Amino acid sequence: MNKKYLFLSGLLIVLGIIMAFLPAKKYGVQISPENLLLELTDDTRFVSTDEVALYLIEADPQVQLIDVRTPEEFELFSLPGAVNVPMDSLLNPNFEPYVDQVGMKTVLYSNGSVYASQAWMLYRRKAYSNIYIMKGGLNEWVETILKPIAPAATSPKEAFDLYDTRVAASQFFGGGSVVVAPNSSSGSKPAVQRKKKKAAKGGC
Amino acid sequence: MAKSINTMKNKPSKYMNPYLAGVLLGLVLLAAFYFTGRGLGASGAVKSTLASVVTSVAPDHAANSHFYEHYTKQDENPIKAWLVFEIIGALFGALISGTIAGRLKLKVEHSPKISSKTRLFAAAIGGLLFGLGSQLGRGCTSGAALSGMAVLSTAGFISMLAIFGTAYMFAYFVRKLWI
Amino acid sequence: MGPLITQGIIAENWNFILAFVIGIGFGFVLEQAGFSSSRKLAGVFYGYDFVVLRVFFTAAITAMTGMIFFHYFGWIDLDLVYVNPTFLTSAILGGVIMGMGFIVGGFCPGTSMCGAAIGKIDAMVFFASLFVGIFIFGETYSMWEELMYAGSLGPRKVFDTLNMSQGLFALLLIVVALVAFYITARIEKAATKVEY
Repeated sequence: MNKKYLFLSGLLIVLGIIMAFLPAKKYGVQISPENLLLELTDDTRFVSTDEVALYLIEADPQVQLIDVRTPEEFELFSLPGAVNVPMDSLLNPNFEPYVDQVGMKTVLYSNGSVYASQAWMLYRRKAYSNIYIMKGGLNEWVETILKPIAPAATSPKEAFDLYDTRVAASQFFGGGSVVVAPNSSSGSKPAVQRKKKKAAKGGC
Repeated sequence: MAKSINTMKNKPSKYMNPYLAGVLLGLVLLAAFYFTGRGLGASGAVKSTLASVVTSVAPDHAANSHFYEHYTKQDENPIKAWLVFEIIGALFGALISGTIAGRLKLKVEHSPKISSKTRLFAAAIGGLLFGLGSQLGRGCTSGAALSGMAVLSTAGFISMLAIFGTAYMFAYFVRKLWI
Repeated sequence: MGPLITQGIIAENWNFILAFVIGIGFGFVLEQAGFSSSRKLAGVFYGYDFVVLRVFFTAAITAMTGMIFFHYFGWIDLDLVYVNPTFLTSAILGGVIMGMGFIVGGFCPGTSMCGAAIGKIDAMVFFASLFVGIFIFGETYSMWEELMYAGSLGPRKVFDTLNMSQGLFALLLIVVALVAFYITARIEKAATKVEY
Protein backbone atom coordinates (compact mmCIF):
# COMPACT_ATOMS: atom_id res chain seq x y z
CA MET A 1 0.00 0.00 0.00
CA ASN A 2 1.02 3.53 -0.68
CA LYS A 3 3.16 5.11 2.01
CA LYS A 4 1.30 8.40 2.10
CA TYR A 5 -1.98 6.63 2.81
CA LEU A 6 -0.34 4.69 5.62
CA PHE A 7 0.81 7.96 7.13
CA LEU A 8 -2.63 9.54 6.78
CA SER A 9 -4.30 6.49 8.29
CA GLY A 10 -1.97 6.72 11.28
CA LEU A 11 -2.83 10.39 11.67
CA LEU A 12 -6.53 9.64 11.58
CA ILE A 13 -6.18 6.91 14.18
CA VAL A 14 -4.30 9.29 16.47
CA LEU A 15 -7.11 11.82 16.07
CA GLY A 16 -9.59 9.07 16.82
CA ILE A 17 -7.78 8.08 20.00
CA ILE A 18 -7.67 11.70 21.14
CA MET A 19 -11.41 11.93 20.51
CA ALA A 20 -12.02 8.77 22.48
CA PHE A 21 -10.42 10.40 25.51
CA LEU A 22 -11.84 13.90 25.17
CA PRO A 23 -13.99 14.67 28.19
CA ALA A 24 -17.63 15.44 27.44
CA LYS A 25 -18.58 19.08 27.55
CA LYS A 26 -21.92 20.73 27.92
CA TYR A 27 -22.74 24.30 27.03
CA GLY A 28 -25.91 25.96 28.17
CA VAL A 29 -27.29 28.55 25.84
CA GLN A 30 -27.07 31.92 27.49
CA ILE A 31 -28.12 35.40 26.70
CA SER A 32 -25.41 38.04 26.87
CA PRO A 33 -25.55 40.59 29.71
CA GLU A 34 -25.79 43.41 27.14
CA ASN A 35 -28.92 41.92 25.58
CA LEU A 36 -30.38 41.24 28.97
CA LEU A 37 -29.90 44.89 29.95
CA LEU A 38 -31.52 45.95 26.71
CA GLU A 39 -34.56 43.84 27.50
CA LEU A 40 -34.66 45.15 31.06
CA THR A 41 -34.88 48.73 29.89
CA ASP A 42 -38.02 48.26 27.87
CA ASP A 43 -41.39 47.26 29.20
CA THR A 44 -42.32 44.55 26.74
CA ARG A 45 -41.72 41.88 29.37
CA PHE A 46 -44.83 42.93 31.26
CA VAL A 47 -48.38 41.91 30.58
CA SER A 48 -51.18 43.63 32.46
CA THR A 49 -53.66 41.85 34.68
CA ASP A 50 -56.36 42.78 32.16
CA GLU A 51 -54.49 40.92 29.44
CA VAL A 52 -54.07 37.89 31.66
CA ALA A 53 -57.79 37.99 32.50
CA LEU A 54 -58.55 38.03 28.79
CA TYR A 55 -56.27 35.01 28.18
CA LEU A 56 -58.04 33.10 30.91
CA ILE A 57 -61.55 34.03 29.78
CA GLU A 58 -60.73 33.04 26.24
CA ALA A 59 -58.92 29.95 27.52
CA ASP A 60 -56.03 30.86 25.24
CA PRO A 61 -54.12 27.62 24.65
CA GLN A 62 -50.97 29.55 23.80
CA VAL A 63 -50.49 30.89 27.31
CA GLN A 64 -48.95 29.11 30.26
CA LEU A 65 -49.21 30.75 33.65
CA ILE A 66 -46.46 30.04 36.16
CA ASP A 67 -46.98 30.75 39.84
CA VAL A 68 -43.61 31.32 41.52
CA ARG A 69 -44.97 31.59 45.08
CA THR A 70 -44.69 28.90 47.73
CA PRO A 71 -46.81 25.75 47.41
CA GLU A 72 -48.81 26.80 50.49
CA GLU A 73 -49.76 30.09 48.91
CA PHE A 74 -50.51 28.30 45.68
CA GLU A 75 -52.87 25.92 47.49
CA LEU A 76 -54.68 28.85 49.00
CA PHE A 77 -55.26 30.76 45.82
CA SER A 78 -53.99 30.58 42.29
CA LEU A 79 -55.05 31.57 38.82
CA PRO A 80 -56.81 28.90 36.77
CA GLY A 81 -54.45 26.69 34.80
CA ALA A 82 -51.34 27.99 36.54
CA VAL A 83 -48.47 25.67 37.37
CA ASN A 84 -46.69 26.17 40.66
CA VAL A 85 -42.93 26.54 40.31
CA PRO A 86 -41.69 27.83 43.69
CA MET A 87 -38.65 30.11 43.67
CA ASP A 88 -36.33 27.41 44.97
CA SER A 89 -37.38 25.05 42.17
CA LEU A 90 -37.05 27.53 39.31
CA LEU A 91 -34.17 25.57 37.84
CA ASN A 92 -35.64 22.16 38.59
CA PRO A 93 -35.51 20.32 35.27
CA ASN A 94 -38.92 18.77 35.94
CA PHE A 95 -40.52 22.16 35.45
CA GLU A 96 -38.52 23.09 32.40
CA PRO A 97 -41.09 21.71 29.96
CA TYR A 98 -43.75 23.99 31.45
CA VAL A 99 -41.65 27.10 31.32
CA ASP A 100 -39.90 26.56 28.03
CA GLN A 101 -42.58 25.44 25.60
CA VAL A 102 -42.77 25.68 21.85
CA GLY A 103 -44.83 28.63 20.69
CA MET A 104 -46.20 29.29 24.17
CA LYS A 105 -46.30 32.53 26.05
CA THR A 106 -45.12 31.95 29.60
CA VAL A 107 -46.51 34.44 32.12
CA LEU A 108 -44.89 34.51 35.55
CA TYR A 109 -46.64 35.91 38.56
CA SER A 110 -46.10 36.26 42.29
CA ASN A 111 -47.84 38.34 44.94
CA GLY A 112 -46.18 41.51 43.77
CA SER A 113 -43.81 41.85 40.84
CA VAL A 114 -40.52 41.27 42.61
CA TYR A 115 -40.28 37.48 42.66
CA ALA A 116 -41.74 37.15 39.21
CA SER A 117 -39.15 39.63 37.96
CA GLN A 118 -36.36 37.63 39.55
CA ALA A 119 -37.67 34.48 37.96
CA TRP A 120 -37.91 36.31 34.63
CA MET A 121 -34.24 37.33 34.88
CA LEU A 122 -33.22 33.80 35.62
CA TYR A 123 -35.18 32.34 32.73
CA ARG A 124 -33.98 34.94 30.29
CA ARG A 125 -30.46 34.18 31.42
CA LYS A 126 -31.20 30.61 30.39
CA ALA A 127 -32.31 32.08 27.07
CA TYR A 128 -35.88 30.85 27.31
CA SER A 129 -37.98 32.94 25.02
CA ASN A 130 -41.51 34.32 25.30
CA ILE A 131 -41.30 34.87 29.04
CA TYR A 132 -43.50 37.57 30.55
CA ILE A 133 -44.36 38.96 33.95
CA MET A 134 -47.86 39.78 35.13
CA LYS A 135 -47.46 43.38 36.16
CA GLY A 136 -48.28 44.01 39.80
CA GLY A 137 -48.80 40.33 40.50
CA LEU A 138 -51.77 38.93 42.38
CA ASN A 139 -52.17 42.10 44.45
CA GLU A 140 -52.86 43.99 41.29
CA TRP A 141 -55.06 41.13 40.13
CA VAL A 142 -57.26 41.45 43.19
CA GLU A 143 -57.42 45.22 42.90
CA THR A 144 -58.18 45.37 39.22
CA ILE A 145 -59.94 42.17 38.30
CA LEU A 146 -61.57 40.76 41.39
CA LYS A 147 -62.50 44.02 43.14
CA PRO A 148 -62.49 46.67 40.48
CA ILE A 149 -63.07 50.15 41.80
CA ALA A 150 -65.56 52.27 39.91
CA PRO A 151 -63.89 55.27 38.32
CA ALA A 152 -64.82 58.74 39.47
CA ALA A 153 -67.78 60.25 37.69
CA THR A 154 -65.50 62.72 35.96
CA SER A 155 -63.30 60.04 34.43
CA PRO A 156 -63.04 59.69 30.68
CA LYS A 157 -65.15 57.13 28.87
CA GLU A 158 -62.21 54.70 28.50
CA ALA A 159 -62.02 54.35 32.25
CA PHE A 160 -65.63 53.30 32.36
CA ASP A 161 -65.19 50.85 29.51
CA LEU A 162 -62.26 49.33 31.34
CA TYR A 163 -64.30 49.19 34.50
CA ASP A 164 -67.12 47.41 32.70
CA THR A 165 -64.85 44.75 31.30
CA ARG A 166 -63.27 44.36 34.71
CA VAL A 167 -66.63 43.89 36.35
CA ALA A 168 -67.46 41.29 33.72
CA ALA A 169 -64.14 39.60 34.33
CA SER A 170 -64.69 39.75 38.03
CA GLN A 171 -67.95 37.91 37.61
CA PHE A 172 -66.18 35.36 35.45
CA PHE A 173 -63.58 34.73 38.10
CA GLY A 174 -66.04 34.33 40.93
CA GLY A 175 -67.55 37.74 41.44
CA GLY A 176 -66.53 40.42 43.78
CA SER A 177 -64.72 38.49 46.45
CA VAL A 178 -61.41 36.76 46.51
CA VAL A 179 -62.24 33.17 46.00
CA VAL A 180 -60.12 31.01 48.19
CA ALA A 181 -61.68 27.95 46.72
CA PRO A 182 -59.43 24.93 46.55
CA ASN A 183 -58.35 25.47 43.03
CA SER A 184 -60.22 23.17 40.79
CA SER A 185 -57.80 23.67 37.96
CA SER A 186 -54.83 21.99 39.58
CA GLY A 187 -56.49 18.64 38.98
CA SER A 188 -56.04 18.82 35.26
CA LYS A 189 -52.52 19.85 34.54
CA PRO A 190 -52.20 21.55 31.19
CA ALA A 191 -50.78 19.41 28.45
CA VAL A 192 -47.17 20.14 27.76
CA GLN A 193 -45.59 20.28 24.38
CA ARG A 194 -42.04 19.20 24.91
CA LYS A 195 -39.71 21.75 23.55
CA LYS A 196 -37.45 20.70 20.80
CA LYS A 197 -34.07 22.25 21.39
CA LYS A 198 -33.62 25.32 19.34
CA ALA A 199 -31.64 23.48 16.72
CA ALA A 200 -32.14 24.70 13.22
CA LYS A 201 -34.61 22.89 11.04
CA GLY A 202 -32.72 20.61 8.78
CA GLY A 203 -33.30 17.70 6.56
CA CYS A 204 -32.66 16.84 3.04
CA MET B 1 5.63 19.45 -21.74
CA ALA B 2 3.87 20.80 -24.80
CA LYS B 3 2.37 17.42 -25.34
CA SER B 4 0.93 17.19 -21.87
CA ILE B 5 -0.72 20.58 -22.23
CA ASN B 6 -2.14 19.39 -25.49
CA THR B 7 -3.65 16.28 -23.98
CA MET B 8 -5.07 18.37 -21.19
CA LYS B 9 -6.87 20.52 -23.68
CA ASN B 10 -8.50 17.67 -25.51
CA LYS B 11 -9.20 15.20 -22.77
CA PRO B 12 -11.20 16.02 -19.69
CA SER B 13 -8.90 16.24 -16.71
CA LYS B 14 -8.95 13.48 -14.15
CA TYR B 15 -11.17 13.42 -11.15
CA MET B 16 -9.88 14.57 -7.82
CA ASN B 17 -8.32 12.11 -5.40
CA PRO B 18 -11.39 10.67 -3.64
CA TYR B 19 -9.92 11.04 -0.15
CA LEU B 20 -9.03 14.66 -0.80
CA ALA B 21 -12.52 15.22 -2.21
CA GLY B 22 -13.94 13.54 0.86
CA VAL B 23 -12.01 15.82 3.20
CA LEU B 24 -13.13 18.88 1.22
CA LEU B 25 -16.74 17.70 1.25
CA GLY B 26 -16.43 17.12 4.97
CA LEU B 27 -15.16 20.69 5.43
CA VAL B 28 -18.09 22.05 3.41
CA LEU B 29 -20.42 20.03 5.60
CA LEU B 30 -18.64 21.27 8.72
CA ALA B 31 -19.00 24.85 7.49
CA ALA B 32 -22.71 24.26 6.93
CA PHE B 33 -23.05 23.03 10.49
CA TYR B 34 -20.88 25.78 11.93
CA PHE B 35 -22.74 28.62 10.25
CA THR B 36 -26.30 27.41 10.12
CA GLY B 37 -26.53 24.46 12.48
CA ARG B 38 -27.74 22.12 9.79
CA GLY B 39 -26.18 19.87 7.24
CA LEU B 40 -26.41 19.66 3.49
CA GLY B 41 -29.33 18.32 1.54
CA ALA B 42 -30.85 17.91 -1.86
CA SER B 43 -34.28 16.28 -1.90
CA GLY B 44 -35.65 18.89 0.50
CA ALA B 45 -35.01 21.54 -2.13
CA VAL B 46 -36.99 19.52 -4.67
CA LYS B 47 -39.83 19.20 -2.20
CA SER B 48 -39.83 22.94 -1.49
CA THR B 49 -39.91 23.73 -5.18
CA LEU B 50 -42.70 21.26 -5.75
CA ALA B 51 -44.61 22.67 -2.78
CA SER B 52 -44.20 26.13 -4.24
CA VAL B 53 -45.70 24.98 -7.54
CA VAL B 54 -48.55 23.04 -5.95
CA THR B 55 -49.48 25.77 -3.49
CA SER B 56 -49.67 28.34 -6.26
CA VAL B 57 -51.37 26.17 -8.89
CA ALA B 58 -53.84 24.43 -6.60
CA PRO B 59 -53.89 26.25 -3.25
CA ASP B 60 -57.06 24.49 -2.09
CA HIS B 61 -55.63 21.11 -2.86
CA ALA B 62 -52.43 21.94 -0.98
CA ALA B 63 -54.37 23.27 1.98
CA ASN B 64 -56.21 19.98 2.26
CA SER B 65 -53.08 17.87 2.24
CA HIS B 66 -51.11 17.11 5.37
CA PHE B 67 -48.08 16.77 3.17
CA TYR B 68 -48.02 20.48 2.26
CA GLU B 69 -49.27 21.56 5.67
CA HIS B 70 -45.93 22.91 6.72
CA TYR B 71 -45.78 25.08 3.62
CA THR B 72 -49.35 26.35 3.46
CA LYS B 73 -49.18 27.56 7.04
CA GLN B 74 -46.29 29.92 6.49
CA ASP B 75 -46.72 33.19 4.65
CA GLU B 76 -43.60 32.99 2.60
CA ASN B 77 -43.32 31.18 -0.66
CA PRO B 78 -41.96 27.70 0.08
CA ILE B 79 -39.29 28.14 -2.55
CA LYS B 80 -37.58 30.64 -0.24
CA ALA B 81 -35.95 27.83 1.67
CA TRP B 82 -32.38 27.30 2.76
CA LEU B 83 -31.98 24.12 0.77
CA VAL B 84 -33.26 25.69 -2.44
CA PHE B 85 -30.55 28.33 -2.27
CA GLU B 86 -28.00 25.70 -1.38
CA ILE B 87 -28.99 23.58 -4.37
CA ILE B 88 -28.87 26.55 -6.74
CA GLY B 89 -25.38 27.15 -5.41
CA ALA B 90 -24.51 23.51 -5.92
CA LEU B 91 -25.65 23.71 -9.55
CA PHE B 92 -23.25 26.60 -10.05
CA GLY B 93 -20.49 24.78 -8.20
CA ALA B 94 -20.86 21.68 -10.35
CA LEU B 95 -20.97 23.83 -13.48
CA ILE B 96 -17.78 25.62 -12.45
CA SER B 97 -16.03 22.35 -11.71
CA GLY B 98 -17.23 20.76 -14.93
CA THR B 99 -16.09 23.77 -16.95
CA ILE B 100 -12.63 23.81 -15.39
CA ALA B 101 -12.23 20.08 -15.93
CA GLY B 102 -13.61 20.26 -19.47
CA ARG B 103 -16.44 17.85 -18.79
CA LEU B 104 -19.30 19.98 -20.08
CA LYS B 105 -21.02 17.86 -22.68
CA LEU B 106 -24.61 17.05 -23.48
CA LYS B 107 -24.83 13.27 -23.44
CA VAL B 108 -26.53 10.21 -22.09
CA GLU B 109 -24.08 8.09 -20.17
CA HIS B 110 -24.87 4.41 -20.31
CA SER B 111 -23.37 0.96 -20.42
CA PRO B 112 -22.58 -0.24 -23.96
CA LYS B 113 -24.98 -3.11 -23.40
CA ILE B 114 -28.05 -0.92 -23.22
CA SER B 115 -29.47 1.81 -25.41
CA SER B 116 -29.82 5.43 -24.43
CA LYS B 117 -33.55 4.93 -24.26
CA THR B 118 -33.24 2.14 -21.71
CA ARG B 119 -30.87 4.25 -19.68
CA LEU B 120 -33.24 7.20 -19.67
CA PHE B 121 -36.13 4.94 -18.73
CA ALA B 122 -34.13 3.48 -15.85
CA ALA B 123 -33.13 6.96 -14.74
CA ALA B 124 -36.77 8.02 -14.71
CA ILE B 125 -37.79 5.00 -12.63
CA GLY B 126 -34.83 5.51 -10.32
CA GLY B 127 -35.62 9.17 -9.81
CA LEU B 128 -39.24 8.37 -9.07
CA LEU B 129 -38.30 5.78 -6.48
CA PHE B 130 -35.68 8.02 -4.95
CA GLY B 131 -38.10 10.92 -4.72
CA LEU B 132 -40.68 8.77 -3.02
CA GLY B 133 -38.19 7.10 -0.69
CA SER B 134 -36.57 10.38 0.31
CA GLN B 135 -39.89 11.65 1.61
CA LEU B 136 -40.64 8.50 3.53
CA GLY B 137 -37.09 8.32 4.89
CA ARG B 138 -37.00 12.06 5.75
CA GLY B 139 -34.09 12.88 3.53
CA CYS B 140 -31.81 11.48 0.89
CA THR B 141 -28.20 10.39 0.84
CA SER B 142 -26.92 13.89 1.54
CA GLY B 143 -29.51 15.11 4.01
CA ALA B 144 -30.32 11.99 5.98
CA ALA B 145 -27.33 9.73 5.53
CA LEU B 146 -24.30 12.02 5.14
CA SER B 147 -25.37 14.91 7.36
CA GLY B 148 -26.90 12.44 9.79
CA MET B 149 -23.69 10.46 10.03
CA ALA B 150 -21.66 13.62 10.58
CA VAL B 151 -23.71 14.48 13.67
CA LEU B 152 -23.71 10.80 14.64
CA SER B 153 -27.49 10.55 14.55
CA THR B 154 -28.92 7.06 14.69
CA ALA B 155 -31.22 7.93 11.79
CA GLY B 156 -28.23 8.81 9.63
CA PHE B 157 -26.60 5.43 10.09
CA ILE B 158 -29.85 3.53 9.57
CA SER B 159 -30.56 5.45 6.37
CA MET B 160 -27.05 4.85 5.10
CA LEU B 161 -27.19 1.12 5.79
CA ALA B 162 -30.68 0.81 4.31
CA ILE B 163 -29.84 2.69 1.13
CA PHE B 164 -26.54 1.01 0.38
CA GLY B 165 -27.61 -2.38 1.68
CA THR B 166 -30.63 -2.47 -0.61
CA ALA B 167 -28.63 -1.22 -3.55
CA TYR B 168 -26.12 -4.03 -3.01
CA MET B 169 -28.90 -6.60 -2.77
CA PHE B 170 -30.49 -5.49 -6.02
CA ALA B 171 -27.23 -4.79 -7.82
CA TYR B 172 -27.04 -8.30 -9.25
CA PHE B 173 -30.46 -8.10 -10.90
CA VAL B 174 -29.83 -4.89 -12.76
CA ARG B 175 -26.15 -5.45 -13.56
CA LYS B 176 -26.85 -5.13 -17.27
CA LEU B 177 -27.61 -1.49 -16.75
CA TRP B 178 -24.08 -0.82 -15.59
CA ILE B 179 -21.50 -3.43 -16.58
CA MET C 1 -19.74 30.17 19.43
CA GLY C 2 -21.41 28.37 16.58
CA PRO C 3 -23.77 27.58 14.99
CA LEU C 4 -23.52 31.26 14.19
CA ILE C 5 -26.97 31.83 12.72
CA THR C 6 -28.87 29.72 15.24
CA GLN C 7 -27.15 31.67 18.01
CA GLY C 8 -27.98 34.96 16.36
CA ILE C 9 -24.30 35.92 15.94
CA ILE C 10 -24.82 36.34 12.22
CA ALA C 11 -28.08 37.94 11.12
CA GLU C 12 -30.76 35.68 9.72
CA ASN C 13 -30.71 37.33 6.30
CA TRP C 14 -27.20 36.04 5.74
CA ASN C 15 -28.69 32.59 5.81
CA PHE C 16 -29.55 32.40 2.13
CA ILE C 17 -26.30 33.93 0.98
CA LEU C 18 -24.39 31.40 3.05
CA ALA C 19 -26.62 28.65 1.68
CA PHE C 20 -25.63 29.67 -1.80
CA VAL C 21 -21.91 29.82 -1.02
CA ILE C 22 -21.97 26.50 0.83
CA GLY C 23 -23.93 25.06 -2.07
CA ILE C 24 -21.22 26.11 -4.50
CA GLY C 25 -18.67 24.25 -2.42
CA PHE C 26 -20.96 21.23 -2.24
CA GLY C 27 -21.57 21.07 -5.99
CA PHE C 28 -17.96 21.76 -6.84
CA VAL C 29 -16.58 18.99 -4.67
CA LEU C 30 -19.19 16.46 -5.80
CA GLU C 31 -18.41 17.13 -9.43
CA GLN C 32 -14.66 17.10 -8.84
CA ALA C 33 -14.97 13.74 -7.11
CA GLY C 34 -16.70 12.32 -10.17
CA PHE C 35 -20.18 12.12 -8.69
CA SER C 36 -21.63 13.56 -11.87
CA SER C 37 -21.10 10.22 -13.62
CA SER C 38 -23.67 7.54 -12.89
CA ARG C 39 -21.40 4.73 -14.05
CA LYS C 40 -18.70 5.87 -11.66
CA LEU C 41 -21.25 5.99 -8.85
CA ALA C 42 -22.61 2.55 -9.66
CA GLY C 43 -19.08 1.18 -9.53
CA VAL C 44 -19.34 0.86 -5.78
CA PHE C 45 -21.99 -1.83 -6.23
CA TYR C 46 -20.02 -3.89 -8.74
CA GLY C 47 -16.57 -3.46 -7.28
CA TYR C 48 -14.91 -1.58 -10.10
CA ASP C 49 -14.89 1.87 -8.53
CA PHE C 50 -15.27 2.63 -4.84
CA VAL C 51 -15.15 6.39 -5.12
CA VAL C 52 -18.57 6.75 -3.49
CA LEU C 53 -17.53 4.87 -0.39
CA ARG C 54 -14.25 6.77 -0.12
CA VAL C 55 -15.70 10.24 -0.54
CA PHE C 56 -18.77 9.51 1.55
CA PHE C 57 -16.92 7.95 4.46
CA THR C 58 -14.08 10.47 4.43
CA ALA C 59 -16.53 13.36 4.37
CA ALA C 60 -18.61 11.98 7.23
CA ILE C 61 -15.49 11.36 9.31
CA THR C 62 -13.98 14.76 8.55
CA ALA C 63 -17.17 16.56 9.50
CA MET C 64 -17.66 14.41 12.58
CA THR C 65 -14.07 14.90 13.77
CA GLY C 66 -14.33 18.62 13.11
CA MET C 67 -17.52 18.90 15.09
CA ILE C 68 -16.22 16.93 18.05
CA PHE C 69 -13.10 19.09 18.26
CA PHE C 70 -15.01 22.32 17.59
CA HIS C 71 -17.33 21.38 20.41
CA TYR C 72 -14.45 20.64 22.71
CA PHE C 73 -12.78 23.98 21.97
CA GLY C 74 -16.08 25.75 22.52
CA TRP C 75 -16.48 26.93 18.92
CA ILE C 76 -19.74 25.16 18.31
CA ASP C 77 -22.51 23.93 20.59
CA LEU C 78 -23.38 20.45 19.38
CA ASP C 79 -26.67 20.62 21.28
CA LEU C 80 -27.83 23.31 18.88
CA VAL C 81 -26.93 21.38 15.76
CA TYR C 82 -29.86 19.73 14.04
CA VAL C 83 -29.98 16.00 14.60
CA ASN C 84 -32.45 14.28 12.32
CA PRO C 85 -34.95 12.37 14.43
CA THR C 86 -34.99 8.61 14.15
CA PHE C 87 -38.18 6.96 12.98
CA LEU C 88 -37.17 3.35 12.63
CA THR C 89 -39.85 2.10 10.23
CA SER C 90 -39.81 4.98 7.81
CA ALA C 91 -36.02 5.29 7.86
CA ILE C 92 -35.59 1.64 6.88
CA LEU C 93 -38.46 1.50 4.40
CA GLY C 94 -37.51 4.84 2.87
CA GLY C 95 -33.91 3.68 2.70
CA VAL C 96 -34.93 0.49 0.91
CA ILE C 97 -36.93 2.41 -1.69
CA MET C 98 -34.07 4.87 -2.12
CA GLY C 99 -31.62 2.00 -2.46
CA MET C 100 -33.64 0.55 -5.32
CA GLY C 101 -33.86 3.99 -6.90
CA PHE C 102 -30.11 4.33 -6.53
CA ILE C 103 -29.20 1.09 -8.24
CA VAL C 104 -31.74 1.53 -11.04
CA GLY C 105 -31.30 5.23 -11.61
CA GLY C 106 -27.60 5.45 -10.80
CA PHE C 107 -27.85 8.76 -8.98
CA CYS C 108 -29.05 10.24 -5.76
CA PRO C 109 -30.70 13.66 -5.71
CA GLY C 110 -27.52 15.63 -5.03
CA THR C 111 -25.40 13.83 -7.58
CA SER C 112 -28.11 13.91 -10.27
CA MET C 113 -28.17 17.65 -9.95
CA CYS C 114 -24.39 17.69 -10.40
CA GLY C 115 -24.65 15.52 -13.47
CA ALA C 116 -27.46 17.66 -14.84
CA ALA C 117 -25.33 20.77 -14.37
CA ILE C 118 -22.64 19.45 -16.69
CA GLY C 119 -25.04 18.19 -19.32
CA LYS C 120 -25.77 14.55 -18.49
CA ILE C 121 -29.23 13.96 -19.95
CA ASP C 122 -29.83 10.86 -17.82
CA ALA C 123 -29.13 12.99 -14.74
CA MET C 124 -31.66 15.57 -15.91
CA VAL C 125 -34.28 12.86 -16.38
CA PHE C 126 -33.50 11.48 -12.94
CA PHE C 127 -33.74 14.93 -11.39
CA ALA C 128 -37.08 15.61 -13.10
CA SER C 129 -38.43 12.26 -11.92
CA LEU C 130 -37.63 13.22 -8.37
CA PHE C 131 -40.42 15.79 -8.62
CA VAL C 132 -42.78 13.11 -9.89
CA GLY C 133 -41.81 10.76 -7.07
CA ILE C 134 -42.26 13.40 -4.39
CA PHE C 135 -45.53 14.50 -5.98
CA ILE C 136 -46.84 10.93 -5.92
CA PHE C 137 -45.80 10.67 -2.30
CA GLY C 138 -47.61 13.92 -1.54
CA GLU C 139 -50.78 12.74 -3.26
CA THR C 140 -50.79 9.43 -1.44
CA TYR C 141 -49.57 10.93 1.81
CA SER C 142 -52.51 9.73 3.88
CA MET C 143 -51.45 6.20 3.00
CA TRP C 144 -47.96 6.73 4.40
CA GLU C 145 -48.75 8.97 7.31
CA GLU C 146 -49.01 6.21 9.87
CA LEU C 147 -45.80 4.58 8.65
CA MET C 148 -44.03 7.92 8.77
CA TYR C 149 -44.40 8.19 12.51
CA ALA C 150 -44.02 4.56 13.52
CA GLY C 151 -41.03 3.47 15.57
CA SER C 152 -40.14 6.95 16.77
CA LEU C 153 -36.96 7.18 18.84
CA GLY C 154 -36.59 10.98 18.72
CA PRO C 155 -33.35 12.73 17.77
CA ARG C 156 -31.19 9.88 18.99
CA LYS C 157 -27.44 9.78 18.69
CA VAL C 158 -25.97 6.54 17.50
CA PHE C 159 -23.49 6.21 20.37
CA ASP C 160 -26.35 6.48 22.85
CA THR C 161 -28.21 3.78 20.96
CA LEU C 162 -25.13 1.58 21.10
CA ASN C 163 -24.48 2.62 24.68
CA MET C 164 -20.94 3.88 24.34
CA SER C 165 -19.20 7.24 24.55
CA GLN C 166 -19.12 9.61 21.60
CA GLY C 167 -15.36 9.53 21.35
CA LEU C 168 -15.13 5.76 21.41
CA PHE C 169 -17.71 5.50 18.66
CA ALA C 170 -15.77 8.05 16.60
CA LEU C 171 -12.61 6.00 16.99
CA LEU C 172 -14.42 2.81 15.98
CA LEU C 173 -15.92 4.51 12.96
CA ILE C 174 -12.46 5.64 11.87
CA VAL C 175 -11.10 2.13 12.23
CA VAL C 176 -14.02 0.67 10.28
CA ALA C 177 -13.52 3.25 7.56
CA LEU C 178 -9.81 2.55 7.25
CA VAL C 179 -10.41 -1.19 7.06
CA ALA C 180 -13.09 -0.58 4.43
CA PHE C 181 -10.72 1.64 2.43
CA TYR C 182 -8.06 -1.04 2.48
CA ILE C 183 -10.35 -3.91 1.52
CA THR C 184 -12.10 -2.01 -1.24
CA ALA C 185 -8.79 -0.94 -2.70
CA ARG C 186 -7.87 -4.63 -2.96
CA ILE C 187 -11.21 -5.52 -4.51
CA GLU C 188 -10.93 -2.69 -6.99
CA LYS C 189 -7.52 -3.92 -8.11
CA ALA C 190 -8.87 -7.41 -8.72
CA ALA C 191 -12.07 -6.31 -10.45
CA THR C 192 -12.33 -6.08 -14.20
CA LYS C 193 -11.85 -2.56 -15.34
CA VAL C 194 -14.89 -0.82 -16.72
CA GLU C 195 -14.42 1.99 -19.19
CA TYR C 196 -16.76 4.90 -18.84
